[in-house]
Amino acid sequence: MRKIWTIVTLRLKEFFKSPGVLVLMFVMPALFSWIFGGIAVNSEQNKPIVNVVLRDSNVSSEIFNLLKQDHHYEWKKATRQQAEKNVSSQDVAAAVVIPDDIGQRITDKQPLLDIIVQRKNENYLALSSHLEGTAVLVLRSYQATSELDAAAFPKVLETITSNKGVIVEKQTIQKDTKTNVEVNLMFVGFAIMFMMFGLSGAASTILDERIGGTWGRLMIAPASKLQISLGYLLSYFFMGWIQFAVLMVTMNLLFATSWGKLTYLIPFASLVILSVVGFGLMIAGLVKTKQQAGAVSAILVVSTCMLGGVYWPIDIVPDIMQKIALFVPQSWAMSGFKEIISGSLHAGTLIKDSAALLGFSSLFFFIGLKGMKFE
Amino acid sequence: MKMLTVRDLHKSFGNFAAVKGVSFEVEKGESYGLLGPNGAGKSTTINMITGLFPPTSGEIQIKDFDVIKNPKQAQKWIGVVPQEIALYQTMSARENLKFWGRMYDLSGSALEKSVDQVLEIIGLTERAKDKVETFSGGMKRRVNIGAAILHRPELLIMDEPTVGIDPQSRNHILETVKRLNDDGMTIIYTSHYMEEVEYLCKRIGIVDHGQLIATGTLSELRETIGDHSKIILTIDKDGSTVAGLAQSLTSLFPEKDIQIQDHQLMVFHKEPQLILTDFIQSVAKTGTGITSVDIVEPNLESVFLHLTGRNLRD
Repeated sequence: MRKIWTIVTLRLKEFFKSPGVLVLMFVMPALFSWIFGGIAVNSEQNKPIVNVVLRDSNVSSEIFNLLKQDHHYEWKKATRQQAEKNVSSQDVAAAVVIPDDIGQRITDKQPLLDIIVQRKNENYLALSSHLEGTAVLVLRSYQATSELDAAAFPKVLETITSNKGVIVEKQTIQKDTKTNVEVNLMFVGFAIMFMMFGLSGAASTILDERIGGTWGRLMIAPASKLQISLGYLLSYFFMGWIQFAVLMVTMNLLFATSWGKLTYLIPFASLVILSVVGFGLMIAGLVKTKQQAGAVSAILVVSTCMLGGVYWPIDIVPDIMQKIALFVPQSWAMSGFKEIISGSLHAGTLIKDSAALLGFSSLFFFIGLKGMKFE
Repeated sequence: MKMLTVRDLHKSFGNFAAVKGVSFEVEKGESYGLLGPNGAGKSTTINMITGLFPPTSGEIQIKDFDVIKNPKQAQKWIGVVPQEIALYQTMSARENLKFWGRMYDLSGSALEKSVDQVLEIIGLTERAKDKVETFSGGMKRRVNIGAAILHRPELLIMDEPTVGIDPQSRNHILETVKRLNDDGMTIIYTSHYMEEVEYLCKRIGIVDHGQLIATGTLSELRETIGDHSKIILTIDKDGSTVAGLAQSLTSLFPEKDIQIQDHQLMVFHKEPQLILTDFIQSVAKTGTGITSVDIVEPNLESVFLHLTGRNLRD
């Protein structure tokens, strides 16, 4: 045991003595989170404006009320001409046109709502899912009231609007904090991404050690392979935790973020860190030089983070991408963190996320240790 | 008492046979040199002895321990100075020594005491707190040795420990190794610097193309080449005169091998003192002035040249 701790202590000392690693693991993620966190918090206060073009009718007014249930946007009425002008000058994020002939559109199986945007950006993606949901509600209400009198349709829509059970609400929980779950998840995402960069860099120092001779010297010391392996893995695990803890505290101080229950967060974050350590070890086991490790990990980290919902909510990407995301550990990590940070703590989801992360960790460790040359 | 026994050691990497049937023994307290050019198989042999990788076939025993079956037991008794500077560059000399001491089961006051002693031996007490990356090549080499002797190994294996350093540091290292051996530590020293091996080692094994082609004391090895010393006379005449002189001397000493090189006349003989006077007188009679006379004993260089047909540093 003493030899394991000797290796852990040495690796951590070396880690804290390397300015480059410290910048990558602490300064960069803190800076990113501070900048983007600031933007996100600010954007919560300055919501994107969406113009709504509607005629003066009960149905249109109720659809407008339904749309307003998404509080991420500021919904403002406008004429079609004004709306088009506003979209063109980018004064508004988008314009939604509620057509006069809803009934006809339903009969003709045409889209119920028209949307005017300059380009399909992330605002559009987030907005479109709300519009789709609203359109479905309108359709169902129309179908349900088609055989009743004309006043029934807007009445049903009004009832739906006032019924909390169907409100499109992304902010599941928010207790005494300034920012929402998605902003907190963004911090977690940055932490995961930089942890992957940092730990894959740290793990690839084994390659340097092999060239420098210290690895060979360790192999001929009276220490078992298990002791040496555990020494290295534990040191990376602690590095990951130190980074994660520092970022948690920093973000809490800067933005008063809430991280959910620590009894759930600590074991789940440990699993995430374990899979990140495994990822770093896998890279180190697959390549021959530290330069190769740097290039390969940059490609893999950025691409899998994109797929796994680290940069943007995975809900806004197409279904096929969401299915592909299941094959990268970040998507499971983000899903679990979302459960914990939001406070919903759905046991089935958390168990599934944890099991997936364990599976990824086992696979990564198997590949990494197989590629590691103990000589 | 046998400290190390190596028997019929083979190592192949794919189709390439790096070591082909090396056998030798080293007694306790002995200093044994493994001499050979780069790529001869010295380091591969050393790596197998230290248990870094197993041989393809053969036996290695350190004291009573079988290195192949139980390398970790055997490794407790040995200290290894690798060819590379196997140190953590961003750590201080003391931190490095403490780390390697702990890996060899030292702890507490025993570790502190040993680190202090080793720093003293390698002459770096004053620089103990400095990072290794700030050291000169020679100083790094000294810490590299220090890390191998912290646990007072009974067998110290040194693989080219003086590569690429200045003469002053080399002398310090050689003196340190000599002192450790005088104190009873068994040494295996590999190098392609013959003068180091000659200076440090009582017995020498010459390795070439993966085979141990000769082994013995320096005088035993000399005997293998017929033991011809060289008399060198430097004279004050130009090349053409030296050539004429050599011709006339050959007629006087027909059985001798006389060679010329610039202003030098060279005669090879098993017992040079027997012919030295006659040779000098014969030259003096021609009226040629002699500026210096040297007798060069056969050394490892000539032994190696004789055995392998090439110079060690080729």
